[in-house]
Amino acid sequence: MTGAELVLKVLQQHGIQHIFGYPGGAIMPIYDALYDSDVEHFLCRHEQGAAFSAIGYARSTGKVGVCMATSGPGATNLVTGLADAMMDSIPVVAITGQVFSGLIGTDAFQEMDVLGMSLSITKQSFLVQSLDELADILHQAFEVAQSGRPGPVLVDIPKDIQIGAVDFEPYPIAQKQYPLLETNAIAKARDLIGSAQKPLFYIGGGVGMADAIEEMQDLLNATQIPAISTLKALGTVPADYPYNLGLVGMHGNQAANHAVQECDLLICTGARFDDRVTGKLDSFAPNAKIIHLDIDPAEIHKLRQADVSILADFKQLLPELAVTPSISTWQQHAADLKTQYAWRYDFPGETIYAPKLLNLLSQRLPFDHAVSCDVGQHQMWVAQHMLFSSPRNHLSSGGAGTMGFGLPAAIGVQVARPDCTSVVVSGDGSFMMNVQELGTIKRFKLPVKIVLLDNQRLGMVKQWQELFFEERYSETNLSDNPDFVTLAKAFDIPALSINQADQIEDGIDQLINSKGPFLLHVQIDEKENVWPLVPPGKANNDMLEGEL
Amino acid sequence: MTHTIKLEASNRPEVMERILRVVRHRGFSLEEVLMKQCHTTNSTQITLTVSGERPISNLENQLNKLYDVAQLERAQTGASAVAMNA
Ligand SMILES: Cc1ncc(C[n+]2csc(CCOP(=O)(O)OP(=O)(O)O)c2C)c(N)n1
Repeated sequence: MTGAELVLKVLQQHGIQHIFGYPGGAIMPIYDALYDSDVEHFLCRHEQGAAFSAIGYARSTGKVGVCMATSGPGATNLVTGLADAMMDSIPVVAITGQVFSGLIGTDAFQEMDVLGMSLSITKQSFLVQSLDELADILHQAFEVAQSGRPGPVLVDIPKDIQIGAVDFEPYPIAQKQYPLLETNAIAKARDLIGSAQKPLFYIGGGVGMADAIEEMQDLLNATQIPAISTLKALGTVPADYPYNLGLVGMHGNQAANHAVQECDLLICTGARFDDRVTGKLDSFAPNAKIIHLDIDPAEIHKLRQADVSILADFKQLLPELAVTPSISTWQQHAADLKTQYAWRYDFPGETIYAPKLLNLLSQRLPFDHAVSCDVGQHQMWVAQHMLFSSPRNHLSSGGAGTMGFGLPAAIGVQVARPDCTSVVVSGDGSFMMNVQELGTIKRFKLPVKIVLLDNQRLGMVKQWQELFFEERYSETNLSDNPDFVTLAKAFDIPALSINQADQIEDGIDQLINSKGPFLLHVQIDEKENVWPLVPPGKANNDMLEGEL
Repeated sequence: MTHTIKLEASNRPEVMERILRVVRHRGFSLEEVLMKQCHTTNSTQITLTVSGERPISNLENQLNKLYDVAQLERAQTGASAVAMNA
């Protein structure tokens, strides 16, 4: 068979049925092989869309997402997506075509040093040097993408290797290997948990990535320790857990941010002390001892010194930590904080209050749903006001904060989970960054539901200009937006525009009940801001609040 | 503060770039470097002397997690790469 055929064979060996991509000269042999293959290819309308769809596919299933592009500009268009996957530890394999080996380094047409570009935005990358190593490299790519802390891997394949003849040999797929549990550290951690007066779980995306949500929930049940969540962890702690204090950080719930400042033991579980979580690092959880649990040794002591650290697979580790401390005063305090700072929806105006709309939408969506969002104010409202039953159902570009993520990610979700109601919540700025993917929705008749919160502004930047730049609104006005309803219609997507509070119910009904895709265009007041907010450089209990 | 780190890495052509990128990005500057391909073991031996204010263990962790790095050890702080291999 040819190298190109081998690529598809290896994908199938790893259980890959769907890939996202865009063809071009240097990857034509693989596209030619695709023509007869059982692997289903989703033609996106921009390689960045393909990368984000692969991410959506991976995030919503825990499987590897695969995207493909041609050399040069095809590969550069993948870069933002791979960087996003790197920051959020998402297992993605990207395959790029490269010019003929002999032409590499001659500035040939569409020749770019993709391996060089990939170094800082992938977990690992390969330029295939010979046909002999092609299969092995592809298998390694899948293994590296999923093992330990997951991440994106890029394989750049010169055209001569795609057309060369090679034998296909079955390859034993490696079994996952876990580090041995460190019994000493576990004993120390148990002691700390058992003797703490005010312990707090600080839960990150690592729990979901390790497929250890059940183990985490069991641990919460056993310990009854209050818990705060990062953006990527939302959906891990059951919504009805009495000590679920919600999102921590810059736009976190006040309950979470106060609790973390008061705790005497912080059990960091698959999180990484990101600056959007900690605020001023020196004053984050100032009186707490730290237990740091992770699979990646490089996270330990990176930003905060740990008193006890354990490197382990969470599925094995978490059950070992079930100690029940006597902390009734602290539990009561956590429950009180939760009540005191519960989100409020008694907005008086007649216009549409986005948090209220999102909260209502969240309650109305069928059980099997996933929400992908873009970046900005709407992203924070999704995190604050929608409820999730698993982190696989909340797709948000966390580490990279990449506008344009939402629409293609939701396409990936819909391909991976055809029966799921795949929703995008986007802003008028972000939506336009990958708006071409409406073409992908049209082509594959994907029933993606789009909620476009239109404040005619780059809202989050505008909010910072208002608060920290003396209301000097430099380049954040989008009041000349296109007519989004007409735009949707051009792609055969029915759409409805609403701007009054009493239209919310009908809007949500139409969105959910439509058989195919739907765009709900929601016009909101540009003055609405995201609260609370921990100003940059401030401690987490130093929050600004708005008024309803 | 200068530190010397010895690494055994795969002998893929980009391995030096990959390692030096991490050194720079994680806040260290390269003072000296020695690199030798070992064709019998299919590996590359690298000795780096770097300087920087951040904890060296952070850099070691970042280097160690590179898929291409098989082994890493810290030689003594203060010594130079060239002297270590003389
Ligand atoms: C690719 C990219 N460019 C720029 C930014 C900076 N940025 C963060 S939020 C934001 C505004 C987003 O506006 P919109 O999508 O309309 O959402 P809103 O904040 O109004 O809800 C910008 C420009 C970014 N995060 N990503």
